[in-house]
Amino acid sequence: MLPIDVAAHSSRWRRRHPAEKALLGLGLTVSAVCLPPWPGAVVVAGATLAVLLGPAGVPPRQLWRAFRIPLGFCVTGALPLLFAVGGPAGLVSLAPEGPADAGRLLLRTSAASLGVLLFAFTTPMSDLLPRLVRAGVPAPVVDVALVMYRISFLLLDAVHQVRQAQAARLGHTSRAAVWRSLAGLGATAFVRAFDRAERLQTGLAGRGYDGTLRVLVPGAAPSRPFLSGVAALLAGIVLATLLLERYAL
Amino acid sequence: MHIAEGYLPPLHAVAWGAASAPFVVHGVRALSREVKAHPESTLLLGASGAFTFVLSALKIPSVTGSCSHPTGTGLGAILFRPPVMAVLGTITLLFQALLLAHGGLTTLGANVFSMAVVGPWAGYAVFRLLRSWDAPLMVSVFFAAFVADLSTYCVTSVQLALAFPDPGTGVAGSLAKFTGIFAVTQLPLAVSEGLLTVLVMRLLVKSSKGDLTRLGVLVSGGRAARKEAAAR
Repeated sequence: MLPIDVAAHSSRWRRRHPAEKALLGLGLTVSAVCLPPWPGAVVVAGATLAVLLGPAGVPPRQLWRAFRIPLGFCVTGALPLLFAVGGPAGLVSLAPEGPADAGRLLLRTSAASLGVLLFAFTTPMSDLLPRLVRAGVPAPVVDVALVMYRISFLLLDAVHQVRQAQAARLGHTSRAAVWRSLAGLGATAFVRAFDRAERLQTGLAGRGYDGTLRVLVPGAAPSRPFLSGVAALLAGIVLATLLLERYAL
Repeated sequence: MHIAEGYLPPLHAVAWGAASAPFVVHGVRALSREVKAHPESTLLLGASGAFTFVLSALKIPSVTGSCSHPTGTGLGAILFRPPVMAVLGTITLLFQALLLAHGGLTTLGANVFSMAVVGPWAGYAVFRLLRSWDAPLMVSVFFAAFVADLSTYCVTSVQLALAFPDPGTGVAGSLAKFTGIFAVTQLPLAVSEGLLTVLVMRLLVKSSKGDLTRLGVLVSGGRAARKEAAAR
């Protein structure tokens, strides 16, 4: 399993209905994108961090490990805004509003990423996927996604083992060897994936498989107090942003 | 390259989502029909999607000395066809956003359009065109993967240029800026992905000829094939 999914399985909010967490996490993400980055994104990021580290109980170290990946993308993505191309200043020059634009973008992407992480850190895929049918996603697509989810971990594990075996056989010592090893890795993943699918099919056929994957989903009902709290938090964020924008800045 | 969460303004995020929707809906219909006709193909399609997900986790060395991952869209389109890739690509991007914090949910539409729609269709069109001209399989595979990778990045550049026009030179200047940045890294990476895809396909032809035949990858569709069919 991947670290975020492991954390989601042992989350304090694991038993909560995914719709509640989706409303909270995605609500915060949408707020970060729609509100003015300054001060909106800062307010959203602060509120999200407070929820993540407080009621959701996500360990700070795990959060940082997961957050530094999108943060790296946010920083790299903001750098091009520092420069302008063409015009009287030359082929490439520093954009006059570049630092401010880059800063605003960095705030927005960071806050939005935290919102998605809040949802990901509290909701395992295995809880989310089966419920998508009720949300209107066609059952065959959900079934394919469920199989993908389960086979992905096995494949990632197999790829890790093959990579270790290749390294032990000096498969990463030269550029040519790295290319050969990578090609072998890709081909092995393909063969293993199809082999897994065939074995799974044989096993399911023995259990009367009729084209539908039936899985047990932990029972949970959306909690009204929680949903009201989420609505209040989102409304509070919007109000605080508007007030700060109007009076404090 | 995935566009990060929150990178696009709200209107752009919605517009790219709307642009991707018809292709994904078309793919969902194709996939649903396939699953209804052959229930066992659920597992095969799931395995194909898992393969695409794992492929995007492989690190490939770049000519510039850096390291990146293949998009896998070219190989995926050759093996599983573009409509199915639109669905598998969307699920893969969703998994990457939620399990790896790579990409995003508000930028899912834009990422789907570049990686699960344009990349596979462009790569598959080149593959079919070259095969219809009786080009060797490996040459067709190389150019399919190369074009799929490059077209993905060209579309990403357009998406970023539209979202962040240059203050002086507008969208054109911004497009030049983003394509210029991507060209340094992505041209070598597209070549790398083409070469890697050829190596993978060579191994697959040796080890999984049955699967490739079933998927219709080995059919040339060119003059030679038509002559052979006429002779029969």
